[in-house]
Amino acid sequence: MALTVWDYLPVIFSGITNTLILTLAGVGLGFALGIPMAFAEVLGPRPVQLAIRWVGRVIRGIPLLVLLFIIFFGFPNIGITLPPIPSAILAIGIRSAAYQAQLFRGAVEGVGYGQLEAALSIGLTRWGAFRHVILPQALRLAIPGWVNEFTIVLKDTSLAYAIGVTEVFTQAVHVAQVILDYLTPLLVVAAIYFTITFTASRLAESVYRRVSVPGLGGGAAL
Amino acid sequence: MTVVLKVEDLWKSYKKNEVLRGVTFSVNEGETKVIIGPSGTGKSTLLRCINLLVRPDKGRIFLDGEEITRPGINEARVRSRIGFVFQHFNLFLHLTALENVMLGLTKVKGMPKEKAEEAAKKALLSVGITEDLWHKYPAQLSGGQKQRVAIARAIAMNPRLILFDEPTSALDPELIGEVLKVMEKLAKEGMTMLVVTHEIGFAMKVADEVMFMDGGRIIERGPPQEVILRPKNERTRRFLSRIWELYDLGVRG
Ligand SMILES: Nc1ncnc2c1ncn2[C@@H]1O[C@H](COP(=O)(O)OP(=O)(O)O)[C@@H](O)[C@H]1O
Ligand SMILES: [Mg+2]
Repeated sequence: MALTVWDYLPVIFSGITNTLILTLAGVGLGFALGIPMAFAEVLGPRPVQLAIRWVGRVIRGIPLLVLLFIIFFGFPNIGITLPPIPSAILAIGIRSAAYQAQLFRGAVEGVGYGQLEAALSIGLTRWGAFRHVILPQALRLAIPGWVNEFTIVLKDTSLAYAIGVTEVFTQAVHVAQVILDYLTPLLVVAAIYFTITFTASRLAESVYRRVSVPGLGGGAAL
Repeated sequence: MTVVLKVEDLWKSYKKNEVLRGVTFSVNEGETKVIIGPSGTGKSTLLRCINLLVRPDKGRIFLDGEEITRPGINEARVRSRIGFVFQHFNLFLHLTALENVMLGLTKVKGMPKEKAEEAAKKALLSVGITEDLWHKYPAQLSGGQKQRVAIARAIAMNPRLILFDEPTSALDPELIGEVLKVMEKLAKEGMTMLVVTHEIGFAMKVADEVMFMDGGRIIERGPPQEVILRPKNERTRRFLSRIWELYDLGVRG
């Protein structure tokens, strides 16, 4: 009796862990790098602003797969050898940073100069104004963009297949090769991606509702 | 008579655009001075210089005798002693009316929360913002209510001086009165105020002195009865006749 995709479901599911690790670490690294990039681009001295802007442009202009291969296959040439998962996280994180920096910069700018002026006027320092007035508003404005970024990163983790990371897409392809049926395992993996994306969006939506205030991006965002 | 604010020969250009060209005046404790003048003549720039949001190219500003334009001054500390009321309110959008007033008290003055809340409520009540509005966000308030909350935010800090930059220009005509009334009360209670406005009715009633600004200079100044009713300068006359037209058309109550 030939084995069907149902016998292999646990194999596909076992890839979910790595997919989530790549996604969360990638988005997390992107956040950790992207936020300071956004600050430097808004508040830094002119040369720093320009440098950051160009770094962002270049990274956004390179396909993720190319970035991934540069890190995994190219970096050993300069003495940096990373295992597949850290390579994938680094590539995904760097790319996400470039997008998150742009996203957060837009949110900070969206808060508007009037809010900064008012904050300074009551006697807050620049840092105080940022901390108590600009940041809380910018974070709210950025939430829909972040949800979007999360779903993009989630889907892009499938590229880690190319360097042999056993994430959920890789597992689906392996199963397909064994049972000689590509369609069903790929539909299964598509359903998995969709489910995670959908759940995350719903979750984010409820968070968004909870933190949104009238006049600051209330209502449905997703 | 205590001089609260002294502005001495203030100059400011943006590139080739000379916005302030030697502005000099002072405001005594408890006085209300009104600045009128066509738009683009540097009125906002002047107020922003006083609040250290803009650095003048030349000239000095003194608050209670202390030069605040000197290098190395603690800007935040100076600003905490000067209230600023904006044309577009600039209430903190993520905070309720009450929180808007409390923020400076807790984060600048370091008051404990309960004390700040008490002081904020007192300030809100003094501008007629009653309990039912304390927990509303700016987006849920009318323009007149927003501006009164903004005034409460300034008052609560117990400033030496409040600067008003066209506080009623963004309001629907029927809401202007409630804001002017609050400002009038404030002036009567002895607050020191410098007000940029086109509300000549307010100026007539409240101002100790009216200054007419044009082209970055104060070109005429004096008691409101003189500057507004018997302007000597040709440009003041022309400007005021346009303002009077608006009045007569009934645009302003
Ligand atoms: N940050 C700025 N950069 C360049 N020009 C400015 C800036 N702020 C004001 N100006 C210019 O200065 C002039 C006076 O502006 P402002 O002080 O706002 O006048 P008013 O308040 O009397 O209408 C205007 O020509 C305006 O364009
Ligand atoms: Mg102005």
